[in-house]
Amino acid sequence: MAFIKLNDLEVEVEDGTNIIEAARQHGIEVPHYCYHPGLTRPANCRMCLVEPHVFFPPAGKVVPDRQLATGCTTTVRTAPPDRKLDGKYDFIVRTDSPRVKKAREDILEFLLVHHPLDCPVCDQAGECDLQDFSYNHGSGKSRYLEVKNVPPKKDLGPDVLLYSTRCIVCTRCIRFCDEVAGTGELGLIHRGSHDEIDIPRDHDENPLRLLDNKLAGNVVDICPVGALISKDFLFKSRPWFMKQVNSVCPGCSVGCNITVDYKEDGLYRIQPRFHEDINQHWMCDDGRLGYHYVNSEDRLQIPMKRVDGELVPTSWADALNLVVEKFSETDPDSIAIIGSAQATNEENYLLGKLAHEILKTESIGLFGREPDEEHKFPQFTIDADKNPNTRGARDMLKLGDDASLTEEVFRDGIANAKAVYLVNGAPERPLDETAKQALEAVDFLVVQDIFESDVAQLADVVLPGVTFAEKEGTFTNAKGWVQRIHRAVDPPGEARTDWEIIQQLANRLGGEMNYHFAGEIALDIAENVPDYQDATHQKIGDGGVKLNGGNN
Amino acid sequence: MVQERRILYEHLDVPDINTFDVFRQYDGYKRFEKAIKEYQPDDICDMVMKSGLKGRGGAGFSTGLKWSFVPRDIEPRYLCCNADESEPGTFSNRYVLERNPHLLIEGILICCYAMGISTAYVYIRGEFTLGKRMLDAAIEEAYQQGYLGKDILGSGFDLDIYSHPGAGAYICGEETGLIESLEGKRGQPRVKPPFPAVEGLFHKPTVVQNVETLCNLPFLMGNGVEWYTDIGRTYGDTRFDPPQSDPNTGTKLYCISGDVNKPGVYELDLGLTAEELIEVAGGVRGERVKAVIPGGSSAPILTHYELECRLDFTSLTLWKSMLGSGGIIVMNETRNIVDCLLNIMKFYAHESCGQCTPCRWGTPWVRDIVQRIADGEGRQTTMQRPKFGVAEGGRWGDTGEMEEVYEDLDLLESVANNIANVDTMTWNTICVFGIAVSWPAVSYLRKFRPEFEAAIREGKLVTLSVEEATVPPEENYAYQQRIVPSLFEAPT
Repeated sequence: MAFIKLNDLEVEVEDGTNIIEAARQHGIEVPHYCYHPGLTRPANCRMCLVEPHVFFPPAGKVVPDRQLATGCTTTVRTAPPDRKLDGKYDFIVRTDSPRVKKAREDILEFLLVHHPLDCPVCDQAGECDLQDFSYNHGSGKSRYLEVKNVPPKKDLGPDVLLYSTRCIVCTRCIRFCDEVAGTGELGLIHRGSHDEIDIPRDHDENPLRLLDNKLAGNVVDICPVGALISKDFLFKSRPWFMKQVNSVCPGCSVGCNITVDYKEDGLYRIQPRFHEDINQHWMCDDGRLGYHYVNSEDRLQIPMKRVDGELVPTSWADALNLVVEKFSETDPDSIAIIGSAQATNEENYLLGKLAHEILKTESIGLFGREPDEEHKFPQFTIDADKNPNTRGARDMLKLGDDASLTEEVFRDGIANAKAVYLVNGAPERPLDETAKQALEAVDFLVVQDIFESDVAQLADVVLPGVTFAEKEGTFTNAKGWVQRIHRAVDPPGEARTDWEIIQQLANRLGGEMNYHFAGEIALDIAENVPDYQDATHQKIGDGGVKLNGGNN
Repeated sequence: MVQERRILYEHLDVPDINTFDVFRQYDGYKRFEKAIKEYQPDDICDMVMKSGLKGRGGAGFSTGLKWSFVPRDIEPRYLCCNADESEPGTFSNRYVLERNPHLLIEGILICCYAMGISTAYVYIRGEFTLGKRMLDAAIEEAYQQGYLGKDILGSGFDLDIYSHPGAGAYICGEETGLIESLEGKRGQPRVKPPFPAVEGLFHKPTVVQNVETLCNLPFLMGNGVEWYTDIGRTYGDTRFDPPQSDPNTGTKLYCISGDVNKPGVYELDLGLTAEELIEVAGGVRGERVKAVIPGGSSAPILTHYELECRLDFTSLTLWKSMLGSGGIIVMNETRNIVDCLLNIMKFYAHESCGQCTPCRWGTPWVRDIVQRIADGEGRQTTMQRPKFGVAEGGRWGDTGEMEEVYEDLDLLESVANNIANVDTMTWNTICVFGIAVSWPAVSYLRKFRPEFEAAIREGKLVTLSVEEATVPPEENYAYQQRIVPSLFEAPT
């Protein structure tokens, strides 16, 4: 640990920390544009200039250094005992001296000479570093009288637009494509004040390559200004009109930490949230753009039962009673409970309890989306398992690690069952012909789902559940991190939170469950499921909890 | 009159000196043979350190000191020869490349032997097509004669030289910009530290040396340190003479152009005055000297009052200017300083690499302001303010008079100083391109302010007489010596 003097504070920071991070750790903001903790540091924006102090032998004392230094590339290290400043400090730096403040103002003036004053129509307004820093550190007036550069607006790829006029050439996006994605689609063209970000183009300006890698959306997040814009979010909402909750991406078993931006009428945007061991600063576009199903008008809103071969709406009481009636008639050994790799730990735990303690059946299976291809990038991996909670579901339902999600295993699981209770909840889950035949062979099929999916269409009773954005709970990712999801919006229509449905059904079947919220179930999980002793909602918080013995 | 002392250029005009055989007749490669047979690498480094040889590329940094920074335990190490001579007003390296390329190869051989380097790159300015052709032919010849390649002269020392053409960017003459370009990237300078001596080409220790610096080595090797340190002028007759502890030794290839009768490259002892140099170059063309740019277009300008200054690395810093690459441009009374500045600013605005904010957007802005003044559209306010100048006791201060406020001149000085502050010699940019922009801008304005004011007042370019156009030396001197209102606690 290095002992440094930061403005008037005396603080300890780890060796190798740069000044921006050291200051951030102690509540001091050093404005910056090109620096991003997940990327290399070109020090090209010059916004983070700070004033280091050095020992000046002729004066025999410590004085401000002649040159200001960039906070991003200046790192602190423990100095040898004879090189301590003022006898005790490893480093002395000021981030608030008049020189530093003047430099910030000057740099901001340069940044704004070609920047258009189009904040009123810019998507970034409200969460724009240029806006914020200009307000906090800028001069408030421009001395620039000349004509501004007007480089063209560009379509870079399926989801990314570039408003070149707003670009401050910090090159974060270029470095992201080079270093994290390893795809290198972006580069600079021209020189000097005519610098533009662009994709490769031929002589007729036709793109030779598009910014279409699966991580492309991240460049929009890291753009400090409104230059890179997501087509998905373009002109949809002002940031200050949206509310935000922390959650976990349900797209695959990586379990990227996310924030969900929403309004009363649905989700608006998903952005990655930093987690050092899971997704760092990033997420993939599948997860980022995959939230639209939550807002879909085709969501199941009311329970349904099959009458004369047609699914017709019914009441919750009727639907649940029908299930209880049929299950009571059936021999427990012929009832199969199929949990879901899309459902939370709490829901799968209740399902396990329903199976083991109330129905007393041994046929427990797991359902979920089928594995896809794995995508590996230099600093990011998209998992092949397209379910957020495969590992958690196995733990809760006491299935072995070999309980895979392939169609064969699933077919075997229901082969001898007469009545099946199946939880789905995946945004899309097509069934192949053999799986369909296996399900059709079941006498009585109850499906808890969010859409009228392939499975739901075969069901005798359909119970409308909810998506990740409408419930509380926990997911366990492939590496054994238990993380929380939070409710953002209300369930559509009469749809109910999945654990409530299971609890009501269990109680109607003679159980005595009395949970009031998901956190209560998690307390039970902590007591009863091996390795989950720390996985209570309180302890998980926003950072997650790593399971004991979880293999990395 | 000062006489030329031709050392590097001695055999430049010998027919076919570019061929190995002719070069050999004039001691060619014998100095290298002496080095490799009689000296250990460390001895050569010592010699260079003792010779006081300073890098001729522009910064004037001690070559021996630079070599001493290179860690000897990291392999491989590289030499980059900077032949990207692109500073306006400089044209001495190209003659070496075009006429006497073997001299450069010999210099590279000595440097690489001393530093234990086995790969050297010569980064040649893209426009020097003839120079590159000649050098390539010479390298080929040297390979054939066994002076390049493996186990040179049976000594166990290996060296390969590669020549690489630039693609036409001024900034690739900056050492880290050159390295980036050589690595195949955009020519954008790196953040320093680390300096190239520690981490340069391909992240390995790299020595970057100008052509002229390397060409000094064979002669230093052949004639010894004492011979070398005897070249160069002794000081003591003017108040701006540098301390004896920091001698400027050797000759310099002064490139003199502009309004002189015999422009060209003159090889002279370091430390002659500007006046003497103009005399050597056949005197000024026209009536009289109005201004002199002493070290390539990025150097602050000198007025006709300042011609007594010595043209060497240390003296010129005392005159708040620099020798730079030794490109001297003389202007006579017909030249308009606003027009000159516009020309230079157009060049820098075009050549800014665009990597860091102040330079990317500040440089074209400075050009635009100068353009506006030159177009006669400069802004002047109706206000007046106290005039600062030579006050009591010859010091800078309030003169008690009032002066017109020229808004655009204040703006020009402020914007230039925001890129790199000329008073405190600090820059907000990654490389020194920033100071190469603001130095001329601010110095032209301060030293020839009447001409700028006239352009704004009259609404067109007005060329004043030499006396009228120039700020008096007392005022200039007082300004330079003034106590800068310090933004930070000054060392006491």
